[in-house]
Amino acid sequence: MPFLGTLDTTPRLKDAPQLDNYDTEAWEIAGVEHLSVTFEIDDAAMTSALPPALHPTIPPVAYFSVTSYPESPVGAFKLAQVRVGCRAAALPRGFLLRAYSDSPAACEALGRRWGYDCRPADVQLRRYHDRIVGSVTLDGREVLQGSLLDPNPISGSSIFYVSNVNLARSPDDGKGVLVQVDPAYTFHRAERGSPELTAFDRPAWAADGIDPVWPVTATFVKCDTGFPQIRYVMDASQAARIGTRKLR
Amino acid sequence: MKFGIFYEISVPRPWDPEAERTVYERALEQVRLADELGFDQVWAVEHHFLEEYSHCSSPEIFLAACAVQTKKIRVGHGIVVCVPQINHPIRIAERTATLDIISGGRLEVGTGRSATWTELGGFGASPDDTKKTWDEIVRCLPKMWTQERFSYDGAAFKMPPRAILPKPYQKPHPPMWVAITSPGTEIDAADRGLGWLGLTFGGLEEQEQRMAEYRRRIKVCEPVGDFVNEQINSVNFLYCHEDDETGLNTGRRLQGTFGYMAAQLLSAREAYPTPSYPALGLLPQLRPDGDSPGDSVRVPDGLCIGNPARIIEAVKRWESVGADRINFLLNAMEVVPQEQVLASLRLFAKEVMPKFQEPTRRQAALTTGA
Repeated sequence: MPFLGTLDTTPRLKDAPQLDNYDTEAWEIAGVEHLSVTFEIDDAAMTSALPPALHPTIPPVAYFSVTSYPESPVGAFKLAQVRVGCRAAALPRGFLLRAYSDSPAACEALGRRWGYDCRPADVQLRRYHDRIVGSVTLDGREVLQGSLLDPNPISGSSIFYVSNVNLARSPDDGKGVLVQVDPAYTFHRAERGSPELTAFDRPAWAADGIDPVWPVTATFVKCDTGFPQIRYVMDASQAARIGTRKLR
Repeated sequence: MKFGIFYEISVPRPWDPEAERTVYERALEQVRLADELGFDQVWAVEHHFLEEYSHCSSPEIFLAACAVQTKKIRVGHGIVVCVPQINHPIRIAERTATLDIISGGRLEVGTGRSATWTELGGFGASPDDTKKTWDEIVRCLPKMWTQERFSYDGAAFKMPPRAILPKPYQKPHPPMWVAITSPGTEIDAADRGLGWLGLTFGGLEEQEQRMAEYRRRIKVCEPVGDFVNEQINSVNFLYCHEDDETGLNTGRRLQGTFGYMAAQLLSAREAYPTPSYPALGLLPQLRPDGDSPGDSVRVPDGLCIGNPARIIEAVKRWESVGADRINFLLNAMEVVPQEQVLASLRLFAKEVMPKFQEPTRRQAALTTGA
């Protein structure tokens, strides 16, 4: 059977967000702009970056993204994420290593409601004539810069974004739980181009061993999306096909 | 209705030095038995880099071994990847012609373009281009096989006049097929006069509509080859056992294992958004219906698992929707022990196959005592 992750989640749990409950209401947000940059990563980390609930993809990939939400119950905010591509049983997912937001209120809300390990930083998403650039600056140091070069329009129907799996502390007992965050997307515009990664500070993203080795693609979309109610959570320590709990 | 067998050659870990050889030897033993039992075809996929799921990167060599170890069964390249970075079209023409000669004219040539980023990215091929290069190559192959000299100046490749040798043993050339997974590919097949090589498990209702459209369009096709191959070849799982429950349980284990492994693949569309891959290929039909990782892999309808009576009914349903042939996947990750695979083949040949033989063929078999 396929490999399973070997990541010991215990050290991560110390810093992982504590969920308030599993009943958070959904946030539906219009006019979202989202940049996603995909790289194949060195296979040395294909299992060590994932908890035992998840299978790595073959080849292993990482998704670097910056999203601008123009509105939300906590106001406008930008969110940057680094995720490792994976499978929860038979389903494509991205395991969140860490996130940053330019809004402390968003960091807190996303952590308490959906289990995002999200910290404050300066997050930018900028468009130039020949590229779209997402960046994160932490304490004056650029810890991520990912770009889409030479954007070309494509149909939004060609886009397939994987849902999140976020490690958090359970509201029941504080133990590790993986939260599936699976927003829907309505695309209004989509572009594709070459990916470029010019800054990636692994410690800042809790991404030891994640070495981007091969560019895959980059996309930029304008869409309506958000953060839905949590539907499924998984036990981080056992395969998702047996350790999944349906909430609704 | 004709019956065949179909190989992905999946090799479970741990990969000790004998692991791959054992799986290949078992497959060849199954092929020899299938030939004796009257199965019509054996097909082998071409996949690259798909760990555990498929170690069948050189199917022409496996099929050559099948050909020399058997007498009647036809050998199907199912499919040869028509992407120049993976197979140069000249090499496709040369290898297939040689295989046709070695097999004494028993070759069927399936064509396709790969559906995973794992494979396309590994060879540096752009998913944007595969539909176009497939189209060019399927139009060139019959000419390469039949013209004394061939030259070409296209987007996928260029070549000055050369004699591409050897020529196939079958005249004018072997039957050609197209792998059908994504909706719409059946139209591509029909418009070019190519056979339908189904790689979709189950979904009888949807398949019936697609098959009807294929039949309608192929009547007015512009064939790329020297003849029209108007055949529909579907794929299925096979586990046949006297006890229905045992057959169902083992068959579901086989199907579930295959589906779980297939779902791990990084599809072209998932990694690289492109209109060239409007669907996720084989994967959606095998993934769970819902979004829960805890759901089981979907069990398609029309599976050929269970006791002979149940399988006869399933085959009749496929026959009724328009399939001419069914190819069976016999194992995945070696979850079915070899002796059980062989017993399943024997029971199918004894109890199911005779129900679908043509009257003349059945009569001939009876009079010769076969």
